[in-house]
Amino acid sequence: MSIRLKLLLLGLLTLVLPWAGCRYAREMESALREGEQNSLLSVAQTIASSLQGRGDLLYRQPARVQSPEEPETEDDKAAAAPKPSPYDLRPILLSAQPFLDGYVEEWPQNKTAWRYFARDPAMSTVATGQHKFGILTGVFDRMLYVMLDVHDEHLVFDTPGASPLDPSTFGDRIWIGFEGQDEREHQVFIAATGPGSVTARRIETGEYGQLTAVNEPRILGALQPTARGYRLELRIPLSMLGERFGVLIDDRDRRGVDPVSYGTLRSDDLHTVGRLIVASPELTTYLKQFRQPGLRVAVAAPEGRLLAQVDALSEAKVLAPEPGILARFYRRFVDRPGTRRVIDSTADIYDREHKQIIGSLQVSQTEDRWLMLRDRALTHMLNLTLGFSLAAVIATFIFAAWLAVRLSRLRAASESALTREGLVTTFPETDASDELGDVARGFSTLLHRLNEYTGYLRTLAGKLAHEIRTPLTIVRSSLENMESEGVSSSAGIYLERARQGSDRLNAILIAMGAATRVEEAISNAERTRFNLVPVVQSAADAYRIAFPQRAFATEVPEEPVEIEGAPDLIVQMLDKLVDNAVDFSPEGATIILRVRLEPHAAVVEADNPGPPLSPDTRDRLFESLWQSRTDSDSRPHFGLGLYIVRLIAEFHRGEATASSLPGDSGARFTIRLAR
Amino acid sequence: MLMKRMVAIVEDEPAIRDNYAAAFTREGYLVRTYANRSQAMTAFASRLPDLAVIDISLEDEPEGGFELCRQLRALSPELPIIFLTARDSELDAVSGLRLGADDFLTKDLSLAHLIARVNALFRRVEALRRPAEASQMVRRGPLTLDAERMQVEWEGQVVLLSLTEFWIVYALARHSGHVKNRQQLMDAANVVLDDNTITSHVKRIRRKFQSIDPKFDAVQTVYGMGYRWVD
Repeated sequence: MSIRLKLLLLGLLTLVLPWAGCRYAREMESALREGEQNSLLSVAQTIASSLQGRGDLLYRQPARVQSPEEPETEDDKAAAAPKPSPYDLRPILLSAQPFLDGYVEEWPQNKTAWRYFARDPAMSTVATGQHKFGILTGVFDRMLYVMLDVHDEHLVFDTPGASPLDPSTFGDRIWIGFEGQDEREHQVFIAATGPGSVTARRIETGEYGQLTAVNEPRILGALQPTARGYRLELRIPLSMLGERFGVLIDDRDRRGVDPVSYGTLRSDDLHTVGRLIVASPELTTYLKQFRQPGLRVAVAAPEGRLLAQVDALSEAKVLAPEPGILARFYRRFVDRPGTRRVIDSTADIYDREHKQIIGSLQVSQTEDRWLMLRDRALTHMLNLTLGFSLAAVIATFIFAAWLAVRLSRLRAASESALTREGLVTTFPETDASDELGDVARGFSTLLHRLNEYTGYLRTLAGKLAHEIRTPLTIVRSSLENMESEGVSSSAGIYLERARQGSDRLNAILIAMGAATRVEEAISNAERTRFNLVPVVQSAADAYRIAFPQRAFATEVPEEPVEIEGAPDLIVQMLDKLVDNAVDFSPEGATIILRVRLEPHAAVVEADNPGPPLSPDTRDRLFESLWQSRTDSDSRPHFGLGLYIVRLIAEFHRGEATASSLPGDSGARFTIRLAR
Repeated sequence: MLMKRMVAIVEDEPAIRDNYAAAFTREGYLVRTYANRSQAMTAFASRLPDLAVIDISLEDEPEGGFELCRQLRALSPELPIIFLTARDSELDAVSGLRLGADDFLTKDLSLAHLIARVNALFRRVEALRRPAEASQMVRRGPLTLDAERMQVEWEGQVVLLSLTEFWIVYALARHSGHVKNRQQLMDAANVVLDDNTITSHVKRIRRKFQSIDPKFDAVQTVYGMGYRWVD
């Protein structure tokens, strides 16, 4: 893994910041919500306590709702109303005005709000049955709406045009009985002559006892037949109604027969048995003072039925959401699915003695406001942290890239620093004050020392040759003097041996100084333009004489190969190559000397059969004082031959390389010379 | 009886100095030895030797021999001077010859070779005192070789060659057209040299001829083999 990648990963760690920011935003949000919840609760409690004991405000009649297990005190008894009866009706709060058409569609689809009454009370809970009806009551804007769903196998209409008081024309009739504001019982009946609008009528006793059916225009309705009977929708102004209310169905299978009567009115005198427990209209008025945008205040009966509400939730001032893709992305990222957009608080409303719960108050508030606040804060924070992270990542990346560049420069410098003989290129980064600078300086120092060392090694042979020459001269001149003085024949043998030894020593000295002399020759060499081909050919002729145990073949191009350089040095280079080739080839082998042309170079190659070159020695062959010879012969070897080849190749702006022949059948030395 | 010729040896290494002195004495020369330049100059001021063999590096003077050569040449333009050195680098050779040394030799030269050279140089001094004899002349076109006086003329002009250079030219020109390899040239020059030194000698010979005749190319290189004289 590169340093660049590592540092990039490290930089990516700063992405933790936005994540932590999201966490923080969530916590901030829940704290906000909690605080809002608390304040909402105190609002609810305030309103609820202002409603404490105001049963008259909650219901059209003073608190009637009491739990049976808590008996009323003696004092309350006078004011207390009758116990709850199964015939009590509790209208729901309608959110929209139903259209009087006999259809149930615009009513709330709330099955539990329906009440069922049957002729046989035991069947009242069962949704089927012959003599049975369901009733749904609702209040909207000071009007009581009644929806009756009557099961009737034979819907019988009144005879149209006939007197509504002629029993022989009677069809199915619905009686509505109620206690008026005058605390007297009133009854109206609905007798339809067909589907559609119906009018209620009441029976009045005239001055002389005659009965008349008078239209009651305040009560309007509509009737529609259904698959199992019919449906009747009615509207009655609450101002007509007192506390009690009931419905009686007169079910006739034919006109004029005695009906089967059942419902919540006494069938004999049509008096009510149940009550209408309905919120007082003043409650809404009262709640309206708490109205404010984005807030909903609702009062519910203890059983959960909504009595009144002031709903201004949708009027909340909608803050424009933070624009942009990022903000939307944040919201998606932070908002948990199913998060409510409304929070609410509920407080109980007690009676005057704070014993009975007469209702509950619910205050709801849209979350939008602080959601927006949170969104803004979140967006800003995320923008900041993301920006910072991005900047950090970019900065890290740039830094890493810079480091990598410096390191690779250092590496390149360290690789190339010592390739050329005696040349330590100026090392980069040594001015840097950081650790890389230390490394570079250390390296530079090391390289210089190494260079001094190799330089010392390189000149060692020459120096040694020079230093040994003086004592050798002493030995040789002494021997020669001895010879001239004349010695005995036995001493002459030793003298001869000593002379041979000193000759060998001299040969060694000459070999040791070879590289130094070549370097001097190179520094004094003059460049001329000459044709390489005849030089190689004539050298090959010389080698055929010098090395009769080897065959020499030349492969040269037809055209002249002109290069700029010193032919003497080229011949010396060939000498060394051929020396090497002869040493490493078996007797009788053919050594090939080849000249060929490359676009920018003239190439001299020497191929010899013999052992191949191992890859690891290949690069070191041309170094000074390096040799791979394992066998020892009488001639001194100092690993300078191929080094001289390289020196001469470099003088000709070329290079020397070595490779194995195909099939590892030998070695090939390739010298490229600039043309 | 001829007066003994006096050879001065200026050499800071006592063993070598004494060995050389012994060899020259054996050959019948009068030998004076000096360890450094001041000793030598003091002695030369009172009496000049007939030939001086000078080591280039003298005690604390690495190139004291050159300085001594210059001073000696100022005292006597004809005095034969032979440089001897442990250093065989070309630069030394060039510097020594420019100062007017008659030959430049490395110390691994055998004593016999050295004495042969000294004898040759004395012979030349003798010959130069006599008028030139035609019988000793070798002529090859514009080249005239005087083996006795060890003098070379090209197109009638004297080419100033050192003793080693003269012997090389002589060996080549006597059998023109024949390739002389390095060993043959060394034998002819009474010297043991490595390839590079031979090459630089040949190069210097060519340059000296070319300074008289820029079109000179009578000394040809036969690569890998040696050299030959082409008329």
